[in-house]
Amino acid sequence: MILETLGEFLTIPELGTVVVNGLAKSALYVMIASGLTLIFGLMGVLNFAHGSLTMVGAYLGGLVMVTAVGQATGSVTRLAVFFVAILLVFAVLTVLGGAIETTLIRPLYDRPPIYQILLTFGLTLVIDEIVRIVLGVFGMQPISDWQAALATKPQFLREPAAVVGISVRWLAVFQIVLGVATVVGIWAFLTKTRYGLYIRAGSEDSEMAAALGIDVRQVFTVVFALGIGLAGAAGTLLMWDATWGASVPLAAETLLPAFIVVIVGGLGTFRGTVVAAVVVGMTDSVMTWWFQNYIQFTGLPELVLFLVLVVTLIVRPQGLFGVEGVGGH
Amino acid sequence: MYHTLLNSPVQYEAEMLLPTVETMVGVLYFGLFAMSFDFISGYTGYLSFGHAAFYGTGAYTVILVANGKFPLLGPETPFMLSLLVAGLLAVVVALLVGLVSFRLSGVYFAMITLGFAQVLYVFIRGWDYVARNPRDGPAVGPSHASGFDIGVPWVDQLNLAIGVLTGDEVSLLGTTLSGTTVSFYMVGLVVLVCYFAMQRIIHSPFGRVMIAIRENEERAVAIGYNTYVYKLAAFCMSGFFAGIAGALFAGFRRSASPENSFYFLVSGDALLASIIGGFGTLAGPLYGRLFDETVREFLSKSGQGGGLLPYLRLLLGEGTLSTPVVGGMTVGGLIDTLLNGHASLYVGVVFVLFVLYVPDGLLGTIRNRIGGTFADALPAKLRDEEE
Repeated sequence: MILETLGEFLTIPELGTVVVNGLAKSALYVMIASGLTLIFGLMGVLNFAHGSLTMVGAYLGGLVMVTAVGQATGSVTRLAVFFVAILLVFAVLTVLGGAIETTLIRPLYDRPPIYQILLTFGLTLVIDEIVRIVLGVFGMQPISDWQAALATKPQFLREPAAVVGISVRWLAVFQIVLGVATVVGIWAFLTKTRYGLYIRAGSEDSEMAAALGIDVRQVFTVVFALGIGLAGAAGTLLMWDATWGASVPLAAETLLPAFIVVIVGGLGTFRGTVVAAVVVGMTDSVMTWWFQNYIQFTGLPELVLFLVLVVTLIVRPQGLFGVEGVGGH
Repeated sequence: MYHTLLNSPVQYEAEMLLPTVETMVGVLYFGLFAMSFDFISGYTGYLSFGHAAFYGTGAYTVILVANGKFPLLGPETPFMLSLLVAGLLAVVVALLVGLVSFRLSGVYFAMITLGFAQVLYVFIRGWDYVARNPRDGPAVGPSHASGFDIGVPWVDQLNLAIGVLTGDEVSLLGTTLSGTTVSFYMVGLVVLVCYFAMQRIIHSPFGRVMIAIRENEERAVAIGYNTYVYKLAAFCMSGFFAGIAGALFAGFRRSASPENSFYFLVSGDALLASIIGGFGTLAGPLYGRLFDETVREFLSKSGQGGGLLPYLRLLLGEGTLSTPVVGGMTVGGLIDTLLNGHASLYVGVVFVLFVLYVPDGLLGTIRNRIGGTFADALPAKLRDEEE
């Protein structure tokens, strides 16, 4: 029985679908986690509010889409509006992130790192509740997905794409493209720009960087702001995916996978985060397939993801590409 | 006390401000959980973010024993015994988690305990042995209709049952204590015993080593302490009390769900209580939880506990309530939107303010102010005045 299922799993159409879906999930994970890893790598702040800000991004993105898109809007226009929405959300949340860093996080740098965890944890409560209040004013349900935002998805993204016998959704392809673009964008920013140089220098040794005349405090603010902006952009992308969708519980749903990706990859390495996102995305996709076809246990993919986290921490505590000494280890 | 105030001239104010007895029972058992969280996190400095696993283990053990689904123990097992079993099972879980987790420190320790707890959470949510619908969690079945007894096992007259509706009523000196009030005292008794036990451990040489680990682990190692063993032992003790807390919770509520026992936000609530009450002060988390629950109930919609909203409605009267403010929204509607069930917002704001400006918490700050615990400061003060 298990061998039969394994045989079925290893056929080209099934495996191809699993791989493409896995890549799509990896793309989402890398988008969720990259902001978190940038912030942690440079500042040593484990941002518990990351998931909540992703959720805010999902709602803001949805808001832009719902106001700008009507029934008759064509697919191309919808896509264009979507990119405008991503940029807008990115900009708004970057400003918000900068404000949070300067007013709330900055006073805590000389305290033990636990206080930053505590503060951002408190922020999660506040942000989630504010969103609930705002939704309440507009008479929307906080728990269930925002259907109106989901409905702004262009028609062609809903249709399945069949390439050489592999059936996938166009949405998956779209997500992979955006994920790759994000990775390339961040990589170019980190390695090709002057600011990226500052960030890498600050991650390695912030005292030395400060001694060389870099305004580390300003770099901290910029990185925190950009990290939050990335969280928002990821949220906007999730808003179109029916398995995620814009809802208040999205905050916790994205925070935990983001932690897994960041820890498995190694705290503070962007390369590690990308590799870990692929590992986690693939694991998720494979386990989802096995759950649908063989093993009758509802939480299987989730369970295995947390096991990946635990096993990584036991076998290789610093993560796949992590350097020892980061994060109080 | 509560009822005296409710029959006094300030009854509306009292009803608005004071939490109900039922809430107070919750403060007790969750306070114990928060204390056990503080016992490991506040005293050794290792943030145990998966503490909910022990709470959940305790809660589920009690319900499974009562439903006869626990190996070797029948449904007629005395509650005190299943309480102990719940604690010991939590110790086993803590030992297994701790054995691997204490090789790590800092953020990594927090993350691996979180990981373990979430594995258990997802597992228990999908395991259909524990309940017919594991997502909703188990409840104590009809075969166990009466409340759970707290007292000396097998000595009938020394037992009193706890529970929201199933607790014993007691007639004492002409006044009748309701079931919930009895539960309050009985749960309080267990919590008090646990508190004294933890207090003893903290003030023993063992507790000194725990604090040494928090202050400077390398130096503790250099002096010759095997800190790994100390940390593991402290973690197991902490797990034990967390298990007891979970067992009390399940015994009083008679049901549990994965969301209110195993989920990582339950650990978050304990963290909240610890910080507000005072991190690294054993009694602090109880006060923190009391504060937290009072604010929550104060801002809740309605109910027996009163709260701000019904009070404002009563105070302002119908005329003011229906006055429009902005965009067709009335005063009543505005109050409703801003306050109704949104206590988390205000608790969160208070929490952030505490982290920023009162990092020692309520109890820690008071102790700093008076230069020691109440027990030390009060006699000293009295002595000074005599001289």
